[in-house]
Amino acid sequence: MTAEWVAVATVNEMGRRRKLRVELNDVAIALFQAGGRVYAFADLCVHQDRSLFKGTLLHGKVICPGHQWQFDLETGYEADQGRCQPTYPVRVDDAGTIYVQPTPKRPEAAAEAEQEARA
Amino acid sequence: MTRRTVVTIGAGQAAAVAARNLRRRGFDGRIVLLGDEPHPPYQRPPLSKEFLSGAEGLDSLWILPQKWLADNDIDIVTGVEVRRVDAATRAVQIDGGPDIEADAVLFATGGRPRTLPVPGPRPELIHYLRTLDDATRLAPQLTAGRRLAIVGAGFIGLELAATATAAGVHVTVVDPAPLPLARVIGTAMGQAVCRLHRDSGVDLRTGSALDAVRTTADGVVVDIADGSTVHADVAVVGIGITPNIDAAAATGLHLDDGIVTDAAGRTSIAHIFAAGDVARRYSPRAGAHVRLEHFDNASRQGAAVADAILDRGTGSDEPPWFWSDQHGRNLQFVGTAAGDPLIRGDLDGMDFTAVYLQGGAVCGAFSVERGEDIMAVRELLGREVDTAALCDEDTDLWDLVYDDEEVHA
Repeated sequence: MTAEWVAVATVNEMGRRRKLRVELNDVAIALFQAGGRVYAFADLCVHQDRSLFKGTLLHGKVICPGHQWQFDLETGYEADQGRCQPTYPVRVDDAGTIYVQPTPKRPEAAAEAEQEARA
Repeated sequence: MTRRTVVTIGAGQAAAVAARNLRRRGFDGRIVLLGDEPHPPYQRPPLSKEFLSGAEGLDSLWILPQKWLADNDIDIVTGVEVRRVDAATRAVQIDGGPDIEADAVLFATGGRPRTLPVPGPRPELIHYLRTLDDATRLAPQLTAGRRLAIVGAGFIGLELAATATAAGVHVTVVDPAPLPLARVIGTAMGQAVCRLHRDSGVDLRTGSALDAVRTTADGVVVDIADGSTVHADVAVVGIGITPNIDAAAATGLHLDDGIVTDAAGRTSIAHIFAAGDVARRYSPRAGAHVRLEHFDNASRQGAAVADAILDRGTGSDEPPWFWSDQHGRNLQFVGTAAGDPLIRGDLDGMDFTAVYLQGGAVCGAFSVERGEDIMAVRELLGREVDTAALCDEDTDLWDLVYDDEEVHA
């Protein structure tokens, strides 16, 4: 199946805070920009539906404002909870347009990647 | 080389996190968690909230997933009472079982609820809320239309009041203090929390010293010193915990309302550590020994002891942080309270952050529905800030953290 890329925003729109909330097929997506890359998370926290967009990006983690669960920026994995926030593939073109795929990455794959990163 | 063994006495948050961090840091010896409850390590915070309401089930509570336990070779022994540890040999002595020889021992024995003597024919109507079994026993009592009396307006009592109210229970909370939580969050925020509960339908009776709690054939009666009474179908007593120090005392550890440790969690006896609710740890930040009864503290100290056992790290001395969820509001606190806080946001609308200052410097914050501010204030602790900017909602708090224009992350 060919991956579907949907333009959701531009890098300029992310603003000084380097984060933005967008809608994609009626799903809220929180975009974070760090280290020159853009990351896409399901906006509502897997724990209790708090908005991750309102949270903070610190030390490579997206921190939920609700209970400070810390999701790995690359994988969405919360190591202390053993749970994953859905993350989405992101592509940014030369014009600065941000494209997101509407199907989340497979959470188990992210968790395994995390385990391997630790090993 | 013989395989080293680490034994935890207690199998709650601090013990589980210690075990997890020992493995994460490459410890390949034996890890044994000894718990007095019949369950593997579970999270306590949901017991007064999501688990009690039924919003989350048992599966959400376990701290260490089954697969992780199997992959990481952790021995969990439940339902055991530890008598003492032999200080010389570090043999952990168990009631009715063989000793376990340990190279390092972590006391993570937590606490148990302070109790009230309750005379009367129906002691089963009096509940406490500390353990999973407590919550399992209490949950079916919280049905719409019933009357619940809560003795003690601390965090447990208030969270329970909120959960029960949402279930349609008529809730009365009785506490001798003039305001709830004021010792922790100050007078102004105590008033805010008081209002939150009363506006949500809780009959919160502050300044109400207790004469007696008793049961009758019909239910529970709470006698208040001013002569009034509260009649209820069921009661929960939430008046704090007592640290579990029996085994520590029998071991000969230095005690002072808990087990006294250094900043890294070492007790007065070599190779014996303590963490979590039971530990009175030296905090360089506070300049004193402090004992904290919060989830985050248990996690951090558990992790710090894992480091100490492996002779790395110097302990965790992060500012105290905790959250609570009451009446659909997310409350968070960091640092320490002092005086009248500055308010950022909408106090009346219960959507604000209160920032405490001491000597002009930020020392703590309490937020309602603004956990994101707590993260920023944590970075501002100890710093003098522009108070006008602090209270100005158009100023991003992170702009106060980072003086330059460079964005963090």
